[in-house]
Amino acid sequence: MSSQAHPLQGKRVLIVEDNDLVAKFFRMALERAGGCSCLISEDVPAILEHVATGEIDLVLLDVSLNNSEWEGRSIGGVELCRMLKDKSPRRLPVLLATAHAMSGDRERLLESSGADGYLEKPVYDSAVLVEKVRSLIENA
Amino acid sequence: MASPDPSTPLPESFVDEMKRYLHLLPADTLILRELGPRMEKYLPEMADRFYAQIPHHPGANRVFTGGEAQVRRLKSTLQAWGRGLFNGVYDERYAEDRFLIGFRHVRISLDQKYVISAMGVVRSFMMEKLFDEFPAREKRLAFSQALGKILDLDLNLMCDSYFRATMAHLHTLNQELEQAGGQLADANAIKDEFLAQVSHDLRTPLNSILSFTKMVLDGLCTSPQEEKEVLRDVFSSGQLLLRLVNDLLDISAIEAGKLALDVEALDPRAVLDSTLPLVAVQAASKNLQLIDETLNQTLPSVRSDEIRFRQVLLNLLSNAVKFTAHGCVCIRAVENQPEGHLRFEIEDTGIGVPTEKRDAVFEKFVRHDPKALHGVTGSGLGLAIAKRLVEMMSGRIGLETGADGKGSIAWFTLPLAEPRQKQEAKSA
Repeated sequence: MSSQAHPLQGKRVLIVEDNDLVAKFFRMALERAGGCSCLISEDVPAILEHVATGEIDLVLLDVSLNNSEWEGRSIGGVELCRMLKDKSPRRLPVLLATAHAMSGDRERLLESSGADGYLEKPVYDSAVLVEKVRSLIENA
Repeated sequence: MASPDPSTPLPESFVDEMKRYLHLLPADTLILRELGPRMEKYLPEMADRFYAQIPHHPGANRVFTGGEAQVRRLKSTLQAWGRGLFNGVYDERYAEDRFLIGFRHVRISLDQKYVISAMGVVRSFMMEKLFDEFPAREKRLAFSQALGKILDLDLNLMCDSYFRATMAHLHTLNQELEQAGGQLADANAIKDEFLAQVSHDLRTPLNSILSFTKMVLDGLCTSPQEEKEVLRDVFSSGQLLLRLVNDLLDISAIEAGKLALDVEALDPRAVLDSTLPLVAVQAASKNLQLIDETLNQTLPSVRSDEIRFRQVLLNLLSNAVKFTAHGCVCIRAVENQPEGHLRFEIEDTGIGVPTEKRDAVFEKFVRHDPKALHGVTGSGLGLAIAKRLVEMMSGRIGLETGADGKGSIAWFTLPLAEPRQKQEAKSA
């Protein structure tokens, strides 16, 4: 366990999540249990800028983004995911986290967004979150 | 006369075919024309005899629901039918005319089998009278044969008309069923959407409750202060969850028609006095002024349910406070606007609601201008519940732009308990 104490050491994760408390948990879990550094943003131009630098190792992306806009209209995680993939100079893993948990949502959302992984809320185990993020970065 | 139902057109040459089958000859046509004037006087009795048969059939009761007037109308129609037998023109138009009979009978639930049996009575009556009129053997034979043919033609046309009317009736029923099925599918889709939204909205506070609790249990917090902070988040998420569950129960009960209201004459002052202090705490924590403009007014009694009245008031006031960062929230009451109602207005200096969203905010799960609501959380059901409650109490609810073009005014009306006495007192 001690060798695994910081499985995400040196990694940078961008958190895009409209609920403040959920974003706060993601950051605390990834930083404390994973040892990585996190950025939180809902501002689409800023998000694209971050991704374009190539310094982001993974984006943890919510599907319902109530506060995000692009070109004068609201934008959700599915559409944003495709934009992020296009913008990134290298292969960028995206982990979708969503409270949309009706049957068929998983397949539909993964397929339409092109994301690499999917987490169904409630996501509450830091270790599970860190492991999911680690494996996606490793396989990127 | 128009064809009764274009969906089942009359087969061409159908009448000719039937005339051939019955050997209806030009000679028969001439005989029937000659017979007409002699039989005319028997037509009223024929009609009486026909309708005297109907009450023997317990299933045909609807024929007489229109009373005497309807029976008179039916009998005169039947006499016209009888006259038609002898007019000597048996073409498509004749058939069309007969085809309407089935539609009329299906409409009054007069079954084909009852009509066939009554037609038997008509047939024997007409033959009896024909034999009276023409006792001589030679004419009697030819005349009864021609009369028999035309009665058979009509009986067959009538059966076909029943078939057409029944098909048309089934067609209509089918369309109605299809429509009902479509409405059911729509309702089901709305229910699924509601369920998906509820599932989504319950998971969000649950995420915080479970994740922060687990974080404390896993020892991931760096200090007791941080643990305390995280537990406060758990607590507020739990409160949100409770609000959501309560609102869900309310809206479900309302939509199922299971929410019983205890409507009585109420003094609005008492309701205001018990509600405003609750909101005052929220307002004070945001440094907002809460102004009660009704303080110097004598408010008339309104007809409402006390608990639900308070719920609506609390809801609109909390919303006003929630969406206002600076300034004030103000409540006022206007009597007889509209006539016989007391109108409450809650005005704020907050973010306001764009005109095109005014109706939508009263829908379930529609949260207005989320961009400005950062960090603001609610069930998204408050206004939907308020609208339904106010309407159940015979009032109305709405949103308007604030007086200075900023902020918004949420208003609702409740009926006055004694509108008339009030009016008289005023004019006295």
